[in-house]
Amino acid sequence: MNLLVLMIALPLLAAFLLSIIDRASSFAARVIGPLVLLATAAIGLSVWSQLGDAPQAVQWGGFQAPLGITLYADQFGLLFALAMTIGTLLLWPRSTGNQLRSSSLALLLAGTGSGLALSGDLFNIYVFYELMTVVSYGLIASRGTSGSFASTLRYLVISGFGAALALAGIALVYQATGTLNLAQLAQVAPEKLNNLQGFAAFVLMLVGFGVKAELFPVNMWVPEVYATASSRVSALLAGVVSKLALLIIMRLLILVFHQPEALTVLLVLGILGVATGELAAWRARDLNRMLAFSSIGQLGVMFIALSIPGNAGIFAALAVAVHHLFLKPAMFLLAARWGGSIRRLCGAAKTSPVAAGLFVLLSLSLIGVPPLPGFWAKLLVIMPLLTLDQPLYYFAVFIILAAASLEANYLFRVVMKLYDKQPTAVPHKAHATADLATAVFLGGGLIAAVFMLVPLADRLDSIAAQATDVSTYIQTVAPQSLEGDVQ
Amino acid sequence: MSMEFLDGNTILYSAAFGLMLIGIGGIVISNHLMRIIFGIALLEAGANLLLLLSTYHEGASAPIIVDGIIPAMMADPVPQALVLTAIVIGVGILALALSLAIRVQRAYGTLDMREVRLRLEQEICDEAGIEMPSSSEKPAEVIKTPVNSVVQQESGS
Amino acid sequence: MTALDNLLLISAVTLVIAVLAGNSRVGGWLVTIMYALQGAALMMMSGLGYSTLTMVQSSFSIEVLSQQLLWRFDALSWFFALITIGAGLFCSWFASGEWGEKYRDNGGSLRLFHGALALNVFSMLVLLASGDLLTLFIGWELVSWASFLIMALAGGKAFGYAMRYISYAFAGAMALLGGLLLIYAEVGSFDFQSLKEAVPTMSSATLWLLVVLLTAGFGVKMAILPFHLWQAKAYAETPGPGAAFLGAISSRMGLFAFIVVIVQLIGISRLVEMKIPFTFLDAQDLLAWIAVFTIIIPTYIALRQHDARRLLAWHGVGQTGYMLLGIVIANDLGSAGGLMHVFNYATYQAMLFMVVIAVIHRTGTSNLNKLGGLFTRMPLSYLAMLVGIIGLAGLPPMNGFVSKWLIYRSLIVDGSPLLFLGAVIGTLGTILSVYKLIHNIFLGQLRVEHVAVREAPLSMVIPMMLLAAVVFVTGYFPGLVLDWTSAVQASIGIPVLAHHLGGIDMKGGLDMIWIVSVLLVGFGFGTLVFFLGGRSKRVHQLDNYAGGHFLTAETRYHYSDNFYPGLMHLIGPWYRNSFEWLERGLISAVDTLSTAMQGLYRNAHPSYLLLAVVVFALSWVIV
Repeated sequence: MNLLVLMIALPLLAAFLLSIIDRASSFAARVIGPLVLLATAAIGLSVWSQLGDAPQAVQWGGFQAPLGITLYADQFGLLFALAMTIGTLLLWPRSTGNQLRSSSLALLLAGTGSGLALSGDLFNIYVFYELMTVVSYGLIASRGTSGSFASTLRYLVISGFGAALALAGIALVYQATGTLNLAQLAQVAPEKLNNLQGFAAFVLMLVGFGVKAELFPVNMWVPEVYATASSRVSALLAGVVSKLALLIIMRLLILVFHQPEALTVLLVLGILGVATGELAAWRARDLNRMLAFSSIGQLGVMFIALSIPGNAGIFAALAVAVHHLFLKPAMFLLAARWGGSIRRLCGAAKTSPVAAGLFVLLSLSLIGVPPLPGFWAKLLVIMPLLTLDQPLYYFAVFIILAAASLEANYLFRVVMKLYDKQPTAVPHKAHATADLATAVFLGGGLIAAVFMLVPLADRLDSIAAQATDVSTYIQTVAPQSLEGDVQ
Repeated sequence: MSMEFLDGNTILYSAAFGLMLIGIGGIVISNHLMRIIFGIALLEAGANLLLLLSTYHEGASAPIIVDGIIPAMMADPVPQALVLTAIVIGVGILALALSLAIRVQRAYGTLDMREVRLRLEQEICDEAGIEMPSSSEKPAEVIKTPVNSVVQQESGS
Repeated sequence: MTALDNLLLISAVTLVIAVLAGNSRVGGWLVTIMYALQGAALMMMSGLGYSTLTMVQSSFSIEVLSQQLLWRFDALSWFFALITIGAGLFCSWFASGEWGEKYRDNGGSLRLFHGALALNVFSMLVLLASGDLLTLFIGWELVSWASFLIMALAGGKAFGYAMRYISYAFAGAMALLGGLLLIYAEVGSFDFQSLKEAVPTMSSATLWLLVVLLTAGFGVKMAILPFHLWQAKAYAETPGPGAAFLGAISSRMGLFAFIVVIVQLIGISRLVEMKIPFTFLDAQDLLAWIAVFTIIIPTYIALRQHDARRLLAWHGVGQTGYMLLGIVIANDLGSAGGLMHVFNYATYQAMLFMVVIAVIHRTGTSNLNKLGGLFTRMPLSYLAMLVGIIGLAGLPPMNGFVSKWLIYRSLIVDGSPLLFLGAVIGTLGTILSVYKLIHNIFLGQLRVEHVAVREAPLSMVIPMMLLAAVVFVTGYFPGLVLDWTSAVQASIGIPVLAHHLGGIDMKGGLDMIWIVSVLLVGFGFGTLVFFLGGRSKRVHQLDNYAGGHFLTAETRYHYSDNFYPGLMHLIGPWYRNSFEWLERGLISAVDTLSTAMQGLYRNAHPSYLLLAVVVFALSWVIV
């Protein structure tokens, strides 16, 4: 099972070697990054195919479960690790400045992201999370404009704040339990963390990791960063990286924190995220920030979904997350050329009909028009919310539905501009082929999902079921037999 | 009045939380970028201290097994490793923050966070080709058509 | 393959043909033939319309999220599908000739137009075929977006109106989705039958919430008060026959869904049990009063319009009120009247729109102040409009009379004189405004610029004449339509109206064959006297005098500006655009909130961190 380790190590290694390779041959340096990611994705897929119903754990670093570095691969984690790898491959940053630096950063992002998704203890999660954060600073700032530096700095302030809070949360957990291994935590959590200290730790870690997941009070960086970073980086951050932060929160929720108050916190913050994000998007006058605000709203829906107890909540959040994983990057790619004022978009459909058609498709799926996948994802969130039969959950449903009407309004205002018959004075630039091709690929994925709705839903359901199976997690990581395979 | 509650642990915990609070206060209250960055540094220091304290025992020895003898009371190595890592990351981030601050200072000529925010907003709006949204300093936009004329115009409906 | 599969398949093929061949010379005709084929496929299921068949299942069915999605046709679906396909057929026919060529020459895409029309028909058939609440919602959304597409085709101003429509429609759809999922939460299934069984045990509060959500959802599509603002302008700006199609059937889909969920599954008798506290009213009365105000207010708004298409479209909003009123009353007379009105209204509304579009085709305007005297130039169109407005005003011998008579009668039987009064006030407004329509277009002085105008081309006149024949024949023999409505009544569980070919058997009943025959004899006699008397003389329109002066071409003696000044003086102050204010207020509120939220994201770094500090401090206290 060293394949799992390779998934993390390969991109990291390549990232560090890239500048050396560049000395030898700049062509090799340009090619090697995507190739390594391709290989990593292939490894991930082969692990996926071996995996089946039985998750696998790897102890790394020569010690057994609670002490060593644990990697845990179930379909849930692997899905996001693969999403990270393939997402980075598809959204490979093309810097106008130092391409070598961007390539290294992208490889680092893929490696740390995979590591985050596969880590089995809080220590590594924290480390990988921090590394990923630093890498994303680099990616945002790599555009090199003064705006990108300023927004990175402002992002860094919030992020540093969040990281410290997360660390404090980890400290509280460790103080209560004496371990950071998730499997062991899962064993002791019901007796040791089911109290106020556990709750405080959860809130601290939620706020800390929530920075990247665009959680409500710590998401103020989102509009600035997505407006100043290059569109591929925005696509990566909004589409993929935010989901990884979400993954950590999901893992913590499943394995460690079972307080009902934790769910309430998630619900309230989710509702606030949806309400503020969608309302702010309603008045946004440039496409980038509109998409940024709407992504805050979408992530809010995922937090609301997470607040549903049990398997249904994880399933719903997973469905919304996977939908968003396809959709948001495609939208940001389209915004690469259409990034400016919405008013400037008049008649853009004439110069780029494919992109405009794709934008319509993505908008329809985003607001949840049947039979597109967005509708089913939304249905999965709302259905269990209503059966819970509590006022706050009803209110959440109201907010989600009202937000969808707002979304329909502002997205179709953009569509109307695209198809407006009076073109603006400035001619529109067509999309770069690579951008458009990637966006079409992602959009095609959405359409394909319509036809594979039933197997897809079953698959996501089984992934969610596997993810919520706590006892299997404990069994897999720390087998009963003591004479384990110490490497 | 007993002073029992002022044992070593409490003092250390207070120090940790105090450091964190001072750090947060620095981030929240000050507008100067350098102070904000130092605030983050303090906050991190506090969090690190808290982590170390989580399994702190007074008088414990280093967790090193010499000649197979396991010391009676051993400090827990995990938080120490974690803190070491966190410190390294923290220093890196601090350096990054400072270098970014230099860049920002060169570009905008200021380290005042409010000023930076306004300039950033201005830059985003300029790039997008839209006007700055009216702020509290500026008067609100006047509605172009008075209500009466709208009514007349719409009276056809 | 069942008969329903065939129908849906042919409809889908129509869509494909429309998209592929829409721009070619024969494309329009090809599509028209396909609509005829759809009609034939529908006729294969005609047993549904005569109660000899209760249901036709589709063999297509999928299971998603452990929900079985079903599609099937019953009498109600069949009845509405008949109108839908008929409207599609006539509108496509109308669009296939000269109109289409002109549309293309003006830069329009016929491919898009025919495609959008075929998509509308297809999505409506899918909606009509829905066999559970989830498929109902899917069909609902398809219909909404298909109408949005056809409304937005014209571009420019139409974009704004289509945008307004979709904002309303999507908000309505979300209310509907909320309602349907609430049902799911209560019942545990999207199945029709389970809902029907669960209704008696539901609490009154839940039912109120359900009825409000569902009525709001369906009501947006029907454009009942207070959701009526979007419809008229959006329909009026839809290109040519598209407006006729939408006017004839599109918003009736809301009524269809209303009948299925509220009348058939929840049941009007359950609504009667839901009292409004501190009043004498119950939920049924509330709906009936909404219906009456939907009749009155839009009809009088129509009276004010200067654009023929808008005038008609505003009537469309008002006439929905009659249908809803009849169906909410839900006795045998009322529901038959409401259902029959759906059919009748579709026939003459489509025809009236076609006439107006033919006039636009020939003269280039639909401004009622810039037309007049076209009777001498377009006599067949005049005839069609005459038939149409008699129907719309609800006067004998046309079919509109029968359905309105049934609705009035049901109100009297039901003992609701105030509702009756409201409906009559609405009809008064209708008569006045349709007179304005025909007077300002066809009667009076022919304008100089219209002297060279010719009758509309055959591709337009034939569909109009056919529809006029339908309006007259179903007025003469209302039993033809009442057969279908009876089948519908039987299938949705309402007492069936006893009827015969000429009308209703009851005390003070109605026999149209008798009435129309007498009218025809009288009219024939009058005509005979007129022509045999030989006292008439044909003169040029300027061979005349007024106020002691001979007329010239420059003299305006055709008063179209400031129509009905006395009446307007009386009711003018009532036009206060309160609903426009309401709408603007709502938009402003959202706008303000939105600005606040943007401010939050722009300015509120520190204060939100402060919030986090509080959380943090709390955690310290806890430890």
